[in-house]
Amino acid sequence: MMAEYDVIVVGGGHAGVEAALAVARMGKTAAIVTMDAKRLALMSCNPAIGGVGKSHVVKEIDALGGLMGEAIDATGIQFRRLNLSRGPAVWSTRAQADRIKYNDYVVDFVRRQESVDVIEGVAGEILADAGRAVGIVTEDGRRIGSRAIVIATGTFLGGLIHIGEKKIRAGRIGEKAAWELSESFRALGFEIGRLKTGTPPRIDGATIDWSRCEIQPGETPIPFFSSRSSREQFDQTPCHLTYTTAATKLLVSANFEASPIFSGQINSTGPRYCPSIEDKFFRFADKERHQIFLEPEGNGTSEVYPNGFSTALPEEIQRQAIRTVAGLEEAVVTQPGYAVEYDYCPAYQVKPTLETRRLEGLFLAGQILGTSGYEEAAGQGLIAGVNAVLQIEREPGLVLDRSEAYIGVMIDDITTHSTTEPYRLFTSRAEYRLALREDNARDRLHQYARKYRLINEAEADHFERLDQATREQIKHFQKKRVAVADLGELRARFQKRENISLEGLLKQPGITINEALPIIARFDGELSHEREVLERAAIWIRYKGYIDKQQREIEKFKRMEGAVIPADFSYDTIAGLKQEAREKFRRFRPGSLGQAGRIEGVTPGDLAVLSIHLKKWSGSGE
Amino acid sequence: MAAGRCDETIVAVITPPGEGGIAALRIAGKRSLSFLESHFRSTSEDSPQFKPFLMRYGHFVGRDGNVIDEVMAVYMPAGRSYTGLPQVEIFCHGGRQVVQLIQQQIVNDGARMSEPGEFTRLAFLSGRIDLAKAEAVAEIIAANTDSSFGAAREHLLGAYAEHVTVLREALVDIAAEIEASIDFPEEDIDAAGSRRLVEMLDRTIGSIGELVESYTGGRIIDEGYRIAIGGRPNAGKSSLFNLLLRQERALVTPTAGTTRDYLSEWIDLGGFKVNIIDTAGLRRGGGQIERAGQKSAKRIIDSSDILLWMVDLSKKNWQAELKADIKALEKTAIILLGNKIDAVPAGAEKAWQADSNNLLLTSCKTRKGIADLKKSLIVRINDKMPDLTDGLVVTSARHKQKLAVALKALRAARRKMAASESPELTAFDLRLAIGAIDEITGRIYTDEILGKIFSRFCVGK
Ligand SMILES: Nc1nc2c(ncn2[C@@H]2O[C@H](COP(=O)(O)OP(=O)(O)OP(=O)(O)O)[C@@H](O)[C@H]2O)c(=O)[nH]1
Ligand SMILES: [Mg+2]
Repeated sequence: MMAEYDVIVVGGGHAGVEAALAVARMGKTAAIVTMDAKRLALMSCNPAIGGVGKSHVVKEIDALGGLMGEAIDATGIQFRRLNLSRGPAVWSTRAQADRIKYNDYVVDFVRRQESVDVIEGVAGEILADAGRAVGIVTEDGRRIGSRAIVIATGTFLGGLIHIGEKKIRAGRIGEKAAWELSESFRALGFEIGRLKTGTPPRIDGATIDWSRCEIQPGETPIPFFSSRSSREQFDQTPCHLTYTTAATKLLVSANFEASPIFSGQINSTGPRYCPSIEDKFFRFADKERHQIFLEPEGNGTSEVYPNGFSTALPEEIQRQAIRTVAGLEEAVVTQPGYAVEYDYCPAYQVKPTLETRRLEGLFLAGQILGTSGYEEAAGQGLIAGVNAVLQIEREPGLVLDRSEAYIGVMIDDITTHSTTEPYRLFTSRAEYRLALREDNARDRLHQYARKYRLINEAEADHFERLDQATREQIKHFQKKRVAVADLGELRARFQKRENISLEGLLKQPGITINEALPIIARFDGELSHEREVLERAAIWIRYKGYIDKQQREIEKFKRMEGAVIPADFSYDTIAGLKQEAREKFRRFRPGSLGQAGRIEGVTPGDLAVLSIHLKKWSGSGE
Repeated sequence: MAAGRCDETIVAVITPPGEGGIAALRIAGKRSLSFLESHFRSTSEDSPQFKPFLMRYGHFVGRDGNVIDEVMAVYMPAGRSYTGLPQVEIFCHGGRQVVQLIQQQIVNDGARMSEPGEFTRLAFLSGRIDLAKAEAVAEIIAANTDSSFGAAREHLLGAYAEHVTVLREALVDIAAEIEASIDFPEEDIDAAGSRRLVEMLDRTIGSIGELVESYTGGRIIDEGYRIAIGGRPNAGKSSLFNLLLRQERALVTPTAGTTRDYLSEWIDLGGFKVNIIDTAGLRRGGGQIERAGQKSAKRIIDSSDILLWMVDLSKKNWQAELKADIKALEKTAIILLGNKIDAVPAGAEKAWQADSNNLLLTSCKTRKGIADLKKSLIVRINDKMPDLTDGLVVTSARHKQKLAVALKALRAARRKMAASESPELTAFDLRLAIGAIDEITGRIYTDEILGKIFSRFCVGK
């Protein structure tokens, strides 16, 4: 079959778009096959990008030349950083998007991107030839050839929407689902599982009594995501916070049976971190009220997203329940909430490059691998796109490890654990959390961005200058001493000393960087004026001790990652390996001893046996 | 190729050497059952097949067809035996010779004699026992006194493992709340400043601290109570050493400076394992070898649980020397022995103006005072012994080290909580502590924290 494109990307969501753009940046051609060319990177659920752990991924995508950060910067209506009262490692930017503008921005960007085509259609079958993916057939019979394929179909694969007893075959309300493609996966021998997620009803903002809600303004100066953004400061749109009432609890609790989540109509598991409102009242029966964030969907629409009110109750009950929430007494529901069940491919079936083990040249990314979230999907999409190109070029793939990126933590987690719920990133998943920060995403990933030509020369130079300036700033902080008497309100914390280095000031327990920097700015004269440089240098100093302490751990980790298990390694001949461990190893096919140790249920004993045999194996091979 | 060694079948006598009522032999590996079957002749009509865990009575028959002994034998299938491998145990009448004859037959069949600790290693590798249990088993094997066996057995039964697990659980609980406050900043979870968490942490720090301290007792159980014999040259140290050992181990001569290096032996004193060390006499000057011996003597004295400092009462200026020596030694755990009491007139010891240190009068020649010395040693050891009934004693140096790492990290976490430091730094220390404890039990910190968070807090919007 003739390859019309280097890479076909099935699905035009957040993963698909990043995949196609990465392919194009690496100088190859891509086609996005999607149902509606005008609905690229649509926000199917909440109109927001970022949040704890997720913002770190957006910064990583940005460092690797991806679009997500730029798109939200250009179309966001409110920005703020969560966890600002905590340390900089967990500062997490979150932005409300203008849903329609975000969508338009991405459509426009993709249209202007050379060597990316958008083809409207529904992929129905994956074509394979001699163990290699060679193209797709659309449901209406068009055959498109390619050298590699990325599948990023989100919740569309076998999508089934539930609203009360009502069932609709769709991946998103008002759209179709892709049922044939699911069959194609099964026919190719993939194991398919089923997951569930949900979304709240949407409300007409004009019918909300805002005076009964708490206002949540944006942060100034606006903390943008992307290093490539040049948007000016603007007037931000606030969000609001409100609460459910005793009436909500009563009504929802009386109707548990009417929800498909409890009636037995849905068997698949939903995320514990994003429970439906009926789940919340059911599982935490002693909690009287729950908070609901009212998030605007944009400036050009009055539609509001009540974050925290995901539900699959029958429409009529939803309408009544919404009206029991403070401030929503007169609220009009414009679109009902729903639960959606969809097919996914348990991620043990892909390598850490996201290429399937079964079919060469076939890559999966996003919800199809059991994750949730736009950011998680986009991060995988980018990696899948890069690796599709590297695979075509017969180059070794790009695998970020757990000490390098949240993207690495995520891919490692899903490929070493069975999925029991849609996977979402949390900072607590990262054992090297203090080293994986928003501020140093580029420090961590710049080398890859350069190596794979994911950013242009100007961007690379810009970062290298920033890096240089940061180093100089750090040296300056280390050298410069100031009189304690000049420290203003921080003076009292240094009673016994006469003077102190700026480094010492920044390391002082109990003084936050945000307290220290304005004081330091008073000794301005010799300091850099760039806030980013100051902040980066201060954060570096702040965590240096901890990161040095963790360095030994990281080295141990890297050694274990370096103990490669050959792809053809056979677990059958290993005597002394528990059957359970043997099955786990066969299923997850760890690429290294380190990865083998992280597989759920593997004991140190199993690992010891494996390592002994691995040594023998490599010994006999030479 | 990959299999190799693991296909081997190994054999060993597993009861201690000496004449006992019954001796036992263990065979582990793929061919263990076939080895047994080829030698076993049932003396009754029962089924000719071995059923798992069913003890059978019969004769052990040699290759030449002669009956070697009456035996009881039992078979354990793979995965259900101690080693995890197919395993056979044979119990025969005692006597070194009989057991060795049987073992020889199995070796002739193609089995290999096991290496020390190999069964336990296999058990660990097969996942039958965790690291802590493997170490406890190793301790049982090495245990050769009553009290040592008690502590090792408690370890094995898991009282200790359970205690450590409970402590770990508490830490995971604390960590979960702190992590929840970081990962869900918009929910109303304020863990960092919570008094309840601080109290929980304090309790855990206390318990781990006690465990770390129990190590001194644990080490005494494990390595023996350490008694150093010190004193000026020719005081009679080596004579005492030999007396306590009940054998002429050290060279005894009238020449000062006979013992140049140190001698170390283990004895059983009132059921306790005791390590006695005879040192070179301490004095100024002396040759190079002697000086080296004195250096090591000083080290041994410093690290001993008790020092028996001997003075030769027949020397003229012994009081002045003793005063100076006590000052220089800076050792509090000390018993002063006034030796050679047989060679001096009665009442000579009265010249010693004791403030706190009384002289215990001894004679290595007549054995006067030796029984009293032993008695007072036993009392002292007993005081140092931890309470073994709850088994919560750390006897492994490795465990102690890990617990100390955890303790240090937890104290750092505690300071940060008190100072309202940022929670990701407290979490850093907690993770360090949990990691250290995981190295004792060999567990891995995975999704537990998140699991805790989701079961306890209604998070998520
Ligand atoms: N009369 C008498 N002689 C003793 C007694 N104890 C030891 N001796 C003698 O004192 C001499 C020295 O005894 P050692 O046991 O070798 O003394 P040491 O302290 O080990 O001497 P160095 O190893 O040289 O430091 C020997 O001749 C012993 O027989 C005792 O209680 N009474
Ligand atoms: Mg001597």
